[in-house]
Amino acid sequence: MHQRSSNLNTAQSLLLAAAFFGTSGAALADIKVGITVPSTGFAAADGKSALDGAKLAIAQANAKGGVKGEKIELVVYDDQASPKEAVPAATKLVEKDKVVAAIGGSYSGATRASASVFQAAQVPYAVAYAIHPDITKTGDFMFRVSAMGEVQGRAGAKLVNDLGKKKVALINIKNDFGQSLAAGFKEGAAKFGLTIVGEHEYSLQDRQFGALIANLKSQDPEVIYASGYFYTAGPLVNQLRAAGVTATIIGQEGYDSDKFMEIAGPASEGVLVTTSLDRDSSNPATKAFLADYKAAYNAGADMVAAATYTATQVVIDGLNKTGGKGGAALRDAMAAGTYDSPIGKLSFNDLHEVKKDIQVQIVKDKAFRRHSIISDPVLLAPPSKSSK
Amino acid sequence: MDYEISLLTTIGISIMFALSLNLITGFCGQISLGHAAFLGVGAYTSAMLTKAGLPFLLTIPASMALAGILGIIVGMASLRVRADFLAITTMGVVFLFIGLVRQQEWLGGEMGLSGFPDSGLGKTGFMLLTLLLAALTAAISLYIQKAWIGRVFSGIAEDEDTMRVLGIDVPSYKLAAFAIGTALAGAAGALYASHLKFIGPDSFSFVESITVLSMVVVGGIGSVVWVAIAAAVLSALPGWFQFIGDYKLLVYGGLLFVMMRFSPHGLAGMVKALSSKKGGAQ
Amino acid sequence: MFFLELIAQSLVQGSIYALIALGLTLVYGLLRILHVAHASLFTLGAYVGVLTYNATGSLALTLLAAMLVSGLSGVAMFRLAYKPLLKQPPHVALIASIGLFIAAEECFRIAFGASGLSFTNTPLQGQVRIGSLQFKEAEIAVMLGAALILGVLAWLQSHTRVGIACQATVSDPQMAESFGITLNTVRDLNFLVGSALAGFAGVWVAVLNNLVEPTMGSVPSYKALAIIVLGGMGSVPGTLMAALVLGLVESFGTVYLGKVLDRNAIAFAFLIVVLMVRPQGLFAKK
Repeated sequence: MHQRSSNLNTAQSLLLAAAFFGTSGAALADIKVGITVPSTGFAAADGKSALDGAKLAIAQANAKGGVKGEKIELVVYDDQASPKEAVPAATKLVEKDKVVAAIGGSYSGATRASASVFQAAQVPYAVAYAIHPDITKTGDFMFRVSAMGEVQGRAGAKLVNDLGKKKVALINIKNDFGQSLAAGFKEGAAKFGLTIVGEHEYSLQDRQFGALIANLKSQDPEVIYASGYFYTAGPLVNQLRAAGVTATIIGQEGYDSDKFMEIAGPASEGVLVTTSLDRDSSNPATKAFLADYKAAYNAGADMVAAATYTATQVVIDGLNKTGGKGGAALRDAMAAGTYDSPIGKLSFNDLHEVKKDIQVQIVKDKAFRRHSIISDPVLLAPPSKSSK
Repeated sequence: MDYEISLLTTIGISIMFALSLNLITGFCGQISLGHAAFLGVGAYTSAMLTKAGLPFLLTIPASMALAGILGIIVGMASLRVRADFLAITTMGVVFLFIGLVRQQEWLGGEMGLSGFPDSGLGKTGFMLLTLLLAALTAAISLYIQKAWIGRVFSGIAEDEDTMRVLGIDVPSYKLAAFAIGTALAGAAGALYASHLKFIGPDSFSFVESITVLSMVVVGGIGSVVWVAIAAAVLSALPGWFQFIGDYKLLVYGGLLFVMMRFSPHGLAGMVKALSSKKGGAQ
Repeated sequence: MFFLELIAQSLVQGSIYALIALGLTLVYGLLRILHVAHASLFTLGAYVGVLTYNATGSLALTLLAAMLVSGLSGVAMFRLAYKPLLKQPPHVALIASIGLFIAAEECFRIAFGASGLSFTNTPLQGQVRIGSLQFKEAEIAVMLGAALILGVLAWLQSHTRVGIACQATVSDPQMAESFGITLNTVRDLNFLVGSALAGFAGVWVAVLNNLVEPTMGSVPSYKALAIIVLGGMGSVPGTLMAALVLGLVESFGTVYLGKVLDRNAIAFAFLIVVLMVRPQGLFAKK
């Protein structure tokens, strides 16, 4: 009677709603792609770059009509570059927002944590610049568009060899980023017969390296292989030169930002970095990206932005092929693709790691310029499933 | 439903964690800024043991035991120093814990631990376990509060010297508070590890200690019910606040400040003030 | 030579720590409050410093501006945050301070951006050789500056009416009032001076690192707490010594113990060990 009629009314409204969404749903519902970035916290600077890179890719895709006419919506969650925050963020993307794919725009620790969530939910996760090996080992829904830590480390060792030097001091940042780079470098060092005269470590929050530098000076290296991010490398390089250290300094993509030169000042001249973004590239995809980024954000792009843009591209490409569907179909589409991206021509191996060259840039007149390219498929081969 | 289950699990763990600190800081007046270390001890113990093959449920008592023992050690430190010094000493404990864990490869070092076996209970089962343990913690807290031991605790919190004069073995009671509080935190840690499936040194930083202390203080030191509520709200908050995204830490800091400035006794205090006003008006 | 360099570095670090910790110890000595938010005044000084220097190119003006802004902000913090909470148990002020600190760091990030600010032309970057050691001019400046300021303060504390009154307000408020200086004035003064020093330290750290970040106050905030405990809370000379000792412990510790513990852990391990042996702190008078 009274109860029954209200139940019927509820049921009727539900049916109506279902019909409404069912028929017109396809046009109304956007395709949701998630992204985890450190928008706040110590890595907020990189988080902003990553997000800007992703947003640019999405905007460009939507301008071209999106995926089969549907717009792509980027759902952003802040993971503060912390594994603790990353897991709830990833969980929300999967369970609440039900994204069809996700982009990893954060640091290794947080990305590793998110990776297991996405793998369990069978949501393809394209990781931009987190280099820890375990990320792709988490499962076959993981993709990485940057060279892994170990690969970059080996490339660094080859660079030292190419420069004709032998005595190296390592300065490692104490986190998974620094550790994987150091591991790779030492592997390469053994191959090329380099001598590691000393190994030093510092924490993410350190900005003053007096004691470390004093120690390093007593070891008299020819080359310093120092890992870190622009906000640690900037002060480090500045202080190294100020202390009278003249050894060649080799950094990696963590340095890859104009802020590095701003902070280190004149000390940054001549610093070499192994990275994915070649500012002097003749590759049309790279040039277009650099120009578009500058136009959109009035700032020079850095590696983080380029990598995240690329990861987003990979996802969009895959979605175009599957017509907006996710799951195993999307994974397979992404795995099979070849991409002409700002960070080079990419293809994935069976572990969904990329096979590509490593760019070496040098700081000249306060800008990153091309120095050389390390192209050695054997040396730079990322691990594959069989080598797990 | 999946998302809600995750959320409830997180809330349950936070409640347990906050109530365990409430025992030490709220009941017994010992300000601990190092409570995250005990969550960490519990988490790492559980993770390592499950990796070694022990079923998850059995790791909980182990986590409690280890955390409790370390808690007693830290408690012994509290016996030596005055209140303010204690706060900073406990702060040091967290840094020491993280600093040590970072350097130990067998504990995962910088990269932390992942891929340890599941609890085997399924998502819903695990949530129920968590909520059960949280309720148990609350029950234990309420019981202690009413019992003789609770009265001694609050006596120590208010006036330690008088208690000594009265012949109470203050040191033993302080240690008891630490032992119980840290053991419960250890249990929460085991749940935390299994829930997140990934733990690293960063998960148990000084910031964690501050967060849990805020839950206790915002709830109202000593009040079991309100601390639980504060823990639930503060742990779920970031989720609700995603839309303010960029400003959430600002809001959090502001909230803490405003709360202390205008209602130092936390939510419990606010409620008391409101109900006494009503009583007065009648 | 290496040894000497380490000691030199310790002095630089120690000077910076001393400048920051001093404000904290002044506040604690007076009010028994752990003023965690103090470190945000350090950061504020750094931001004001970079902005002023980039705009004017005058180091003197920069230091003045930073000290003024930080100093006054410190007083504002006292009036708005701590004064109303004086009658509450200590944990209330502590949490309020923490909330304030978190909010302040976020304000810096939102206002000035997450990537931080740098000098367009960093001052005092030239090299100075003293014997076999090489310093940046800025390093010499911060050491001299710290020594000078702290020396002056110590002298003021024991030789002027204001200084003695400050000391008296802790132990005997009535007597302080008889000096013609009210309790509130002393408190304001404490915050003013302590916060100005933090701002001063902020400028120098900005110059040394050429990077001002919103979170740069985090580590100093708890290091300073450790220092005032080591020094015997409230004691100015104690804090100074503790700051230098910590600088030494950290420098030598990171070199020799770096594989076992990281820098912060070494500092706190040291603190805990000291407290177990001497619970009142290394340099406490009692």
